[in-house]
Amino acid sequence: MAESTKDKIKYRILKTLDVSGFTAFDPVIRLIFGEEPQKQFAAIVKYLVIPAFFVLSCIWFWSWIGPRHKTKSGEVPTPDIVWESVQINDTIAEREKVKRSDFQLKGAEREAALEQVAREYEILSEEVKAAKALVAEKEAEKKAREEKLIAPLEAKYESLKSEYRDAAKARDAEIARISEEVSEGKLEASALIAAIRNDGIATDRERSELNSYKSRIDEIRSQKYKPLDQARKQYDSVADKQFFMKTRLEFLDDRNLYVKLDEAQSELNEYMAELSTAGSAKDALKIAKRAVRAEESVARLEGQEYASAVTIYHQTKRSIFTVFVGFFMAAFVAIPVGIMCGLNKIFMACMTPIISVFKPVSPVVWLLIFQIVVGAFFPDPENHALLNFLNNLPLISSLEINPALIFSACTVAMCAVWPALVNTALGVASIDQDHVNVARVLRLGFWSRLFKIVIPSALPLVFAGLRISLGVGWMVLIAAEALSSSDGLGKFVWDEYQNGSSLTFANIIMVCFVVGIIGFFLDRMMIILQRFVSFDGGGTSV
Amino acid sequence: MAYLELNNVSIGFGPPSNRTEVLKDINLSVEENEFVAVIGFSGSGKSTLMSLLAGLQKPDKGQVRLHGSVVENPGPRLGIMFQNYSLLPWLTVFGNIELAVRQVFPKFNKAQVKEHVERYVEMVSLTPALEKNPHELSGGMRQRVSLARTLAMQPEVLLLDEPLSALDALTRAVLQDEIIRIWEEDKRTVVMITNDVDEATLMADRIVPLTIGPEATLAEPFPVTMERPRDRANLNKNPEFMKLKNSVTRFMVGMNKESKDLKVDTSVKMPNIIPHDFTPPSRTSVKVK
Repeated sequence: MAESTKDKIKYRILKTLDVSGFTAFDPVIRLIFGEEPQKQFAAIVKYLVIPAFFVLSCIWFWSWIGPRHKTKSGEVPTPDIVWESVQINDTIAEREKVKRSDFQLKGAEREAALEQVAREYEILSEEVKAAKALVAEKEAEKKAREEKLIAPLEAKYESLKSEYRDAAKARDAEIARISEEVSEGKLEASALIAAIRNDGIATDRERSELNSYKSRIDEIRSQKYKPLDQARKQYDSVADKQFFMKTRLEFLDDRNLYVKLDEAQSELNEYMAELSTAGSAKDALKIAKRAVRAEESVARLEGQEYASAVTIYHQTKRSIFTVFVGFFMAAFVAIPVGIMCGLNKIFMACMTPIISVFKPVSPVVWLLIFQIVVGAFFPDPENHALLNFLNNLPLISSLEINPALIFSACTVAMCAVWPALVNTALGVASIDQDHVNVARVLRLGFWSRLFKIVIPSALPLVFAGLRISLGVGWMVLIAAEALSSSDGLGKFVWDEYQNGSSLTFANIIMVCFVVGIIGFFLDRMMIILQRFVSFDGGGTSV
Repeated sequence: MAYLELNNVSIGFGPPSNRTEVLKDINLSVEENEFVAVIGFSGSGKSTLMSLLAGLQKPDKGQVRLHGSVVENPGPRLGIMFQNYSLLPWLTVFGNIELAVRQVFPKFNKAQVKEHVERYVEMVSLTPALEKNPHELSGGMRQRVSLARTLAMQPEVLLLDEPLSALDALTRAVLQDEIIRIWEEDKRTVVMITNDVDEATLMADRIVPLTIGPEATLAEPFPVTMERPRDRANLNKNPEFMKLKNSVTRFMVGMNKESKDLKVDTSVKMPNIIPHDFTPPSRTSVKVK
């Protein structure tokens, strides 16, 4: 009995792997359950170890070729630099969270936090000083080492230089002499030519000799000194932390919500007190006006929220949200229209030119068109009813829905609609004649024919189309976001490219992986859905 | 007047300039509760004849009549059992039959539908496979589901289009007995199409040969007067069976030879090679990548 439950678990896991498309891990599960170990080992080597080795060798190749390719914006980052930038982005997100909570702390808690952060700041300041001193020390060390290596080269360089200068002078004198003799007719003209040519050759040789010394010196100077690099890195990280603590101090003190509120409130109270003791009507009016202004500022502060800097997590969330908005818009149009196309040949003939012409249009063009056309709906985006409604919905309010997001989503929808539409039409049109005959014999009405025969038989193809649509949408989205400045991964990449910090390149490559991995999971999700609706037990390609 | 009638029915395809007549001047009348087997070579238009009987196709000339009224549209009165099962792959065995039952008996409540479906599934001995999907079943089981679905509609006429052609010999024998048993249980009119002389002789009251197409028509019928129940095991010792089988076979082979003789001048002599049959046993659906 125990054996059979074990088998049941095994087959359930295998089935899950099969449905989710991770069949490569099949032998691992079988091995765990002790099924034909030899065969499983062979399969693991073939389908897991060798591919893993290949991927690792690709990463190795990347880290080898990266530093060898110098570009205008620095070296191509190696995998470890990209990984570092992942961590930095994570730290940024983490710190934003801390700052937000600092901003909202109040009372005794705030004071305690303030005290602790101030203490940490002091400690870090000491550390920064130490790190700075270390950097200076290492710099001096480096310089000393270099000088030791460079001094003999430099001496040699100088001596050669003067030697060559003398030689050049001698050659000049010789040429002058020969030219005189030629003019007097004592020598052939060809002798003068030869002398000048020899002088040119000698000058070139000497110059290249000198240059080679110079470049050797430069090379020594540009060599990296590991201790110095480490010291600098250490300094950077400590200084970064120190700066963060400084910002925290500000958010716990001057820029804290409740500190500001208290200030505004006390100001208001002051005016109120003054007002009751105002001497003249004129004074009273002046003070009352100030009081009203103070009241307004209190009200404004009460509604204030922490203005968070955008983090990679927020951008990712927003991109995923945008792509699904676009995708559902596309599906909402594509499936009914596709069904109509499949059912009615005349309608199909009407739609074909439209599909054929608009399908190949670039997302960039659609984006511009939507910015103009849909943009006309938002004369004042701040107070538009639709946007206000969306931004007050509970789950998505933090995503700040704005016109840019809607343009991007529309662009995604416009590009994603075609594969779903065409596949749905194909699925409906290619319904098996036998199934149609069944419907005829049973005398099914239009609607039950549609819902009991046509749609079920077209579903696998519909989902195949939706899967392609989501893939296309995700690809298009990044470009649309970059162009429409809608917060998301596309904008993140674009901003990085425009800003040009030392991490720019690494961040762009990081986004490349983030986009790829999310795209992979979206596709997997669609494969699983597709598997659930396919009735023939057929596989779907990976 | 006969129960089910074909009057001078003709059908063809292609444009008028290049028209191929598939069936020409077909006349057939089937009595109530009669079991008629139509026998013919492949490609002679048997399935077209069945589509005409079921009302899925309309004849170019002539009429198909049931009870004297012309058959215009297909419907559950003419229960056709398709050659290639035609089960809906996204529904279970129960679901497939249930769809038909609900449509034919709209007044049934849930329990009645369930009971009705289960009765017919029981009849074809598939109760254990009730909740299975068609692709989990063997060819013979699918054929039985198809039969159960057709029977569950309780049609006045049962039209069987080569119902057993895709099956192996053993399964075929089992299903033949099954069909005869069901037919005997609640008598109804059956028209069965087959290309197997033994099968026709064993099951039918009357064998009607279809001549070789194009322009196929029905030849003189052979009545089968053997007593029922017919004992499969001893058939080969039954002189009446052997005689009938031989005469039908001789007729069919002779017809084939005749048509070959007619064609001999126009056809190119081909080497005597039998091509491999690559047709898959069942319809496979196209996988979309």
